[in-house]
Amino acid sequence: MPGGRLARWAATVPMAGLALATIYPLVFTANVAMKTRRDYVLDRFAPAGGLRWDNIAEAWTGAGMGRYFVNSFVVVACAVALLLLLGSMAGFALARLRFRGSSMIFLGCLAGLFIPFQVIMVPLTRVMADSGLVDTYPGLILAYVAQYLPFTVFLMTSHYRTIPAEIVDAARIDGNSVYGVYRRIMLPLGVPALLSVGILDALFCWNDVLIALLMMPSPEHRTLMIGVNALRGQYSGDIPTFASGVLIAAVPVLMIYLFLQRQIADGVTAGSTKG
Amino acid sequence: MRIAEPSSSALAERLAPYVLVAPAVLIIVALRLWPLALGVNFSFTGDGDLNGTPVGLGNYLELAADPLFRVSLRNVGLLVLLLPVAVAIPGLLATFIYLRVPGHRVYRSVYFFPAVLSPVIVGAIFNLMLGYDGPLNSLLGMVGAGPVDWLGDPGIAMFTVVGVHVWATFGMALVVFLAGFSTLDSSLLDAARVDGASLRQSIWHVIIPSLTRTIQFVFVTTMIGMLTSMFGLLFVMTSGGPEGATYLPEYYIWHQQGQLNRPALASAASTVLFVVMLVVGLLQITLLRRAGRQD
Repeated sequence: MPGGRLARWAATVPMAGLALATIYPLVFTANVAMKTRRDYVLDRFAPAGGLRWDNIAEAWTGAGMGRYFVNSFVVVACAVALLLLLGSMAGFALARLRFRGSSMIFLGCLAGLFIPFQVIMVPLTRVMADSGLVDTYPGLILAYVAQYLPFTVFLMTSHYRTIPAEIVDAARIDGNSVYGVYRRIMLPLGVPALLSVGILDALFCWNDVLIALLMMPSPEHRTLMIGVNALRGQYSGDIPTFASGVLIAAVPVLMIYLFLQRQIADGVTAGSTKG
Repeated sequence: MRIAEPSSSALAERLAPYVLVAPAVLIIVALRLWPLALGVNFSFTGDGDLNGTPVGLGNYLELAADPLFRVSLRNVGLLVLLLPVAVAIPGLLATFIYLRVPGHRVYRSVYFFPAVLSPVIVGAIFNLMLGYDGPLNSLLGMVGAGPVDWLGDPGIAMFTVVGVHVWATFGMALVVFLAGFSTLDSSLLDAARVDGASLRQSIWHVIIPSLTRTIQFVFVTTMIGMLTSMFGLLFVMTSGGPEGATYLPEYYIWHQQGQLNRPALASAASTVLFVVMLVVGLLQITLLRRAGRQD
């Protein structure tokens, strides 16, 4: 390897500093969430005495974060299930079945990938409003499915292209229908990709602000991220409770990250190596 | 019946691919491609009383005259200028991780973790970090530098927001770089070392030319990220302020559509944003291709 020992050790100092800068903001927030308001005002940096759940409880029930949490959970679960179903169906057909128009359909999906939400948000909101879907759960779920479907189809197609065509042919000769091949062969063989794409889709939907803001105007339909923003105004004088709300919204994502880091990184890089 | 059965199932088999792609195609066409056409069309009509009436380039002229929209475009220019920095930081870090600096495995996981947090959460955390008597100003105070009004000073706020965005996303680019490094032929680097190349020479003459495709990809995706995923930060941290200094087109579009009820004007801004992204994206690819050929 080029670069002497010294250079590599010298790089360690800024890299460790950066690692600290990456972790500290979250540690600070978690620490604040465990403090009483009085402790926070007196010294915001001192370590909290221990785990205190009062602020978390206040954010969960008093500020309604519990309700927003359930809203987010239901919407994300439905959206991801639909994305994986539709994405794997289309991916299988585009990768392993020969039919007229398949390359054009694939290009259409790719085109969908390159349209940022900001560019279509005004007409999309209007289309949804005209269909009576604004401020309904199916509407928000559909908006998420539409937003992340091109990505899901693209990754599922590239995954299914790595599965030998002979497997499909053999299954057909054994008397399976196309749907049988999908259900009995492609769906099980797609599990690694479905897991990795599903986690990314879930993160995207869970973390979204803009789509939820446009599709769910009423306060009782808020998702967790919109709830965090509402909390900011409501608890501007009670920072520990605010920090608790932030923690409630961040913890599920951090859990997913701790256990499924590998799959997340695979999904992120899939586009760069296959594109 | 016996004769009809195989032929009807053969028809079903022939239609099966279309049945499998139909839901995805319908959704993508109806909720992505069709709105794009609708929006461009919409941008040439009026708002309010003029709803649906063609106004020609009226909305675009109004945009050109709107100081807030001009600030948002100027901020896009700033983002494009800062782009090389936002690409170089993860690139350099990935190089060191690839060269196995002590603790490289830990760095990889630590650096990547903010990338999974929502911009809203990142923004909320940094609202605490950047407060007047928050941790960052306390740190500055320890070295004798004065407190900085990170989000309240119009000359500083945009840089603060971009800095936070880079903090939150550099791990993403880092992971992409590392995937690129895994395809790198390590014998080239060994040969460079045998020839006595310094680290800088190795980066310049071996690593960069070998990773042109990865670098291109990171450039384009980082730019798209800067132009389309900072809404959450602006929404939580600045609301476009102070004095409109942190407006970006996406915030402008949302504000005009949702708050000021000017959807047609917002559509025109959307169309401008789309064109800007296409132009900058194509320009980057051309420039990087040319640079790649010279090597």
